[in-house]
Amino acid sequence: MSSALTLLARPIAWMPEARRRQLGLAILTVFAVTFPVWHNNDADIDSMANAASYAVLALGLNIVVGFAGLLDLGYAAFFAIGAYTYGILSSFQLQPAWSEFWVPFQWLGLVTKMAGDSGDASVVHFTLSFWLALPFSAAFAAFWGIVFGAPTLRLRGDYLAIVTLGFGEIVPIVVRNWDSLTNGAAGLNGVAAPRLFGWSFGVDATPYYYVAIVMVALLIFISIRLRDSRIGRAWMAIREDEIAAGAMGVNLTRFKLLAFAIGAAFGSMTGVFYVAKLQTATPDMFGFPVSVMILVMVVFGGIGSVWGVVVGAFILQLLQSWWLEDLTGWINAFGHMVGNRWLQHVDLVPSIELIFGFILVGMMLFRRQGLIPAVRPQAALSFDQQHAVVQRGGFTDLKLQGLGGDVRTGAAAMEVKGVTVRFGGLTALNAVDITVPNGSVVAVIGPNGSGKSTLFNVITGLVPAEGGSIRFHGEELLGLPPHEILRKGVARTFQNLRLFPNLTVMENALIGQHARLTTGVFRAILRPPGTRAEEDAARTWAMEIFAIFGNRLAPRVTQMVSGLSYANRRRIEIARALASRPRILLLDEPTAGMNPAETLELAEQIKSLNALGLTVLLIEHKLDVVTTLADTVYVLDHGEVIAYGRPDEVRRNEEVLRAYLGRNAQAAAAGVA
Amino acid sequence: MTFTSLLLQQTINGLSLGAMYALLALGFTLVYGILELINFSHFNVFMVGSFIALWVLQLFGLTGQDVILTGLPLAMVLLVAFVVTMTASGVIGVVIERLCLRPLRNVKGPAAMITTIGVSYILFNIILLWVGAQALNYPNPLPPVKFNVYGATLDVRVVLIWAVAMVLMVALHLFVQKSRIGKAMRATAQDPEAARMMGVEVDRVVVMAFFLGSALAGAAGLIFGLYYNFTSFIIGFTAGLRAFTAAVLGGIGNVPGAMLGGIIIGLVEALGGQIAGAWSDVIIFSILVLVLVFKPSGLLGRMAPNKS
Amino acid sequence: MLLEFRHIDTYYGDLHVLKDVNYAIEEGEIIALLGGNACGKSTTMKTIMGVVRPARGQVIYQGQPIERLPTSERVRRGIAPVLEARRLFPRMTVFENLEMGAYLRKRGPEFDQDLERVFTLFPRVKERREQIAGTLSGGEQQMVAMGRALMARPKLLCMDEPSMGLSPLYVEQVFDIIQEINRQGTTIFMVEQNANMALSIAHRAYVLQTGQVVLSGSASELRRNPLIREAYLGEMQVAQPLV
Repeated sequence: MSSALTLLARPIAWMPEARRRQLGLAILTVFAVTFPVWHNNDADIDSMANAASYAVLALGLNIVVGFAGLLDLGYAAFFAIGAYTYGILSSFQLQPAWSEFWVPFQWLGLVTKMAGDSGDASVVHFTLSFWLALPFSAAFAAFWGIVFGAPTLRLRGDYLAIVTLGFGEIVPIVVRNWDSLTNGAAGLNGVAAPRLFGWSFGVDATPYYYVAIVMVALLIFISIRLRDSRIGRAWMAIREDEIAAGAMGVNLTRFKLLAFAIGAAFGSMTGVFYVAKLQTATPDMFGFPVSVMILVMVVFGGIGSVWGVVVGAFILQLLQSWWLEDLTGWINAFGHMVGNRWLQHVDLVPSIELIFGFILVGMMLFRRQGLIPAVRPQAALSFDQQHAVVQRGGFTDLKLQGLGGDVRTGAAAMEVKGVTVRFGGLTALNAVDITVPNGSVVAVIGPNGSGKSTLFNVITGLVPAEGGSIRFHGEELLGLPPHEILRKGVARTFQNLRLFPNLTVMENALIGQHARLTTGVFRAILRPPGTRAEEDAARTWAMEIFAIFGNRLAPRVTQMVSGLSYANRRRIEIARALASRPRILLLDEPTAGMNPAETLELAEQIKSLNALGLTVLLIEHKLDVVTTLADTVYVLDHGEVIAYGRPDEVRRNEEVLRAYLGRNAQAAAAGVA
Repeated sequence: MTFTSLLLQQTINGLSLGAMYALLALGFTLVYGILELINFSHFNVFMVGSFIALWVLQLFGLTGQDVILTGLPLAMVLLVAFVVTMTASGVIGVVIERLCLRPLRNVKGPAAMITTIGVSYILFNIILLWVGAQALNYPNPLPPVKFNVYGATLDVRVVLIWAVAMVLMVALHLFVQKSRIGKAMRATAQDPEAARMMGVEVDRVVVMAFFLGSALAGAAGLIFGLYYNFTSFIIGFTAGLRAFTAAVLGGIGNVPGAMLGGIIIGLVEALGGQIAGAWSDVIIFSILVLVLVFKPSGLLGRMAPNKS
Repeated sequence: MLLEFRHIDTYYGDLHVLKDVNYAIEEGEIIALLGGNACGKSTTMKTIMGVVRPARGQVIYQGQPIERLPTSERVRRGIAPVLEARRLFPRMTVFENLEMGAYLRKRGPEFDQDLERVFTLFPRVKERREQIAGTLSGGEQQMVAMGRALMARPKLLCMDEPSMGLSPLYVEQVFDIIQEINRQGTTIFMVEQNANMALSIAHRAYVLQTGQVVLSGSASELRRNPLIREAYLGEMQVAQPLV
């Protein structure tokens, strides 16, 4: 026996990673497809079907919580919506009086005419087909997800959790009390089983099992495709750092609603399936405990991990339906053996929720990433990439199309006029005027607290202004949301670095291109050649941007950003902004924390970018950098522009020196400027 | 019953419920104010407290409604019951903090909140598995004295509940306003780093907040039992959501807000229950959702600072 | 020697914020720590208070190494902070804020003495003792913040940018009071951006640039030194300390 295993193990060990995965997938598929054949126990097959449907629920919640980072404690509401939609529209619950209105529906096969209870008038019998109900309920639930999400998804994390919990409770209560529609607590019955080519599924578990397996496979496929696409990246950007995501062009509201709607769709399709299998639905099947159970599956399997949550769902569901019973039997037998009364009679099956509680606490304390942590798919580094020697940048030979290209015409690229920003009683910016000519480098300097970062925040839409205007190539920016401003070509970096820490270097740069790529949900899933070409082009463009920084970033593109050195993280933040093909680049203290050599290198790189025609607005306090780079310098102090001009003029300006070094109080009091 | 007496009756009921919800909401908001943590397990500490109180009363030989006490014995029994329940609940709260939450103090994201959901489940299921799903009868040692107030009935039990709740709320208020640790709690809630630099040990402040909050939850549990004459494993969930809504309505993290919110929700439940019956749940939940969407800072509260 | 930094290296992640920094503060002195943006001044303050731990080096206070001690212990030994931008407890009264300064002390005659002293130094604070701290103006808050620190009866008062956000009139008052406090026997370690004001009352000063001490010496020497301007404007390469 062991020699047969070694015989088998050798070729497996020799296989490359990808082949091994394909083999694993093939084995799993064969197992899943043939399971009812070699294990012909109806109850067990039913359990597997249940497990598979919970896996679908876990996948749906995974998109909301794991990908997009939106904590939803009321996910079962969508499960309920799907279940009751199909249940009501395929049972005898609703029986409106027959009229001409229903004829076209009858013709479509959605309703039939039936003799009424009282004998005389005919009534409608809804006969929505299971297969139609799947997409219909998905759309219906997605609709409700959007209706509910629109006012609530902007709430911060824990408040959102509470609101979703409330929603998750309201739905079963409504169901329980709206007797006429749902038959209340007694539940729906007579829900039609699915029919395929005239043959009804009946009560045998096997056809349901296969439908469930197909659903799981399909939704795993969709999850993986979405995860690795522009959509998935946008979600993860939102999860990691909402503000940076918005500043890089991600439309926060739209993508949050998208995650919520897709999660709702997954949930409601499962509801349709579940009710079709049980042929009944009661409100108790959809309460808070169900939402928590799905959350436990996601947490246990691995938040954000597609295969993780599937495995988690299977393990926990089978724990409930198979193993706890078996375990109880063994413990009882053991109890008989040792003569312990408690052990003889203990029943583990109702303790499943206690186990869930321990799993939640245990996972959060000891293994937050879950059983199978979310894996960032890495492409192997080539030999050259791994052994690259660090070189400085500078790039006259690189063709960076689509970057800059603006010629110094003297016309203003950006005009800030009379902008005032107040926070409560504090005036952070007071009627500030700044002009950035096309193709130039303008620096903004000033002591701590003078309003420099506030200036950037108001330009990029993170902070509202009380007055004034900001025009960029003639268009007004004030009042626009951050992702719109990015779209118009204004990209920025952050003083305190807002990278997406759990994503790779390449992914950070790809998110920078979010606004320039066009792949939507359907193309992300289907991945037609056009989308593949777009992704390839995006990666190529990112590599070109990385090349600006010599060999510092290029060899590390598949590394997680959180593991890189501080200076490299600063460079990635700039690369991410450049990836969005901006017409003006706002750099907030780009050389902070860099030693003189690194500072010099970066200054040269910025100069080269400007030479290509990229307009730059720069906050810096290292005056040698400013002198090298800037055409014009503005000095801010206490929210006001106190001086501007060429760098050498400004350096000699007494006002500026006093702003930095501090007024002598007597001089100020005596009115000496 | 005439309309006014009906209204009065429901107002009396509402104020009793409100007193209980206020205590529960207060305990919850104490922890939130300092840690900005939504502690789901709080409401099952309330439920466990209710059972602890039951067992204390049973230890005194009080079962069912037959034994009536008056005067000093009554006062002693009630005092012991409250003290033991509150202390035990407080200890449970501290254990939860120490074992499950302190290790997560610096972890960003929903990890701590998810942990409290887990603890909540553990408490809930321990009681369910141990005691069973049946509701247990609460002894009522109070004499069946009732007062007639313009046609509405005011039970002496209700007077007791109001008195106890009042005493506890005043005591808490004084503690938080005047005592050294109380001021440290307020300071930590307003600026934890500055408080630390004054020499405040934040860990101890957190433990105190959990102890006090859980003790209040325990008291609310005993009140529940005395008022409704029963307790069961499920009460944490049902009363909990109401108390939670009360805390949010008053302003999460805000102490007077929790009291105000509790009273309002109590009145809503009593009066709403009269009108709409089963839909009172939906009304309460809708209040929760609406407050969070339109005025997250609540009636009295400041907006809790955003976590970056 | 009241406080010493010996070869302190501090990191935020892998950002080297303080590089082999050395300070020496004698009892009774006013020492100013100067420098431009993001040079490590705040980190110095946090290292003294114990909010940040150094990766290498020692902080010696009254002859004892304290770099591993918790913040509360350092306060107990007589180090009190006046925080950047005041950071009073906004919803507590002025008086309660003062009380918090004396959190680790017992009530009694010494407490009352210190309270009187604070009220004498800051008459406005006495007037507004029952007012909610968040409603005071910036200058008044700075007074309360200093009073709060004095309530700890510290031997070493650490002030983080006392002039930040204050009008020139208040700045002058604040610096006068700092001198008075020092005359009454408290050692002062002051982080300041306003070099002119700081040097007008300090005995000695250090100048930081990107985490390194680039200049140090007596205040009168530094006042005359043109290199200070360069350090502030970020142009200086690391120079030899003058002292």
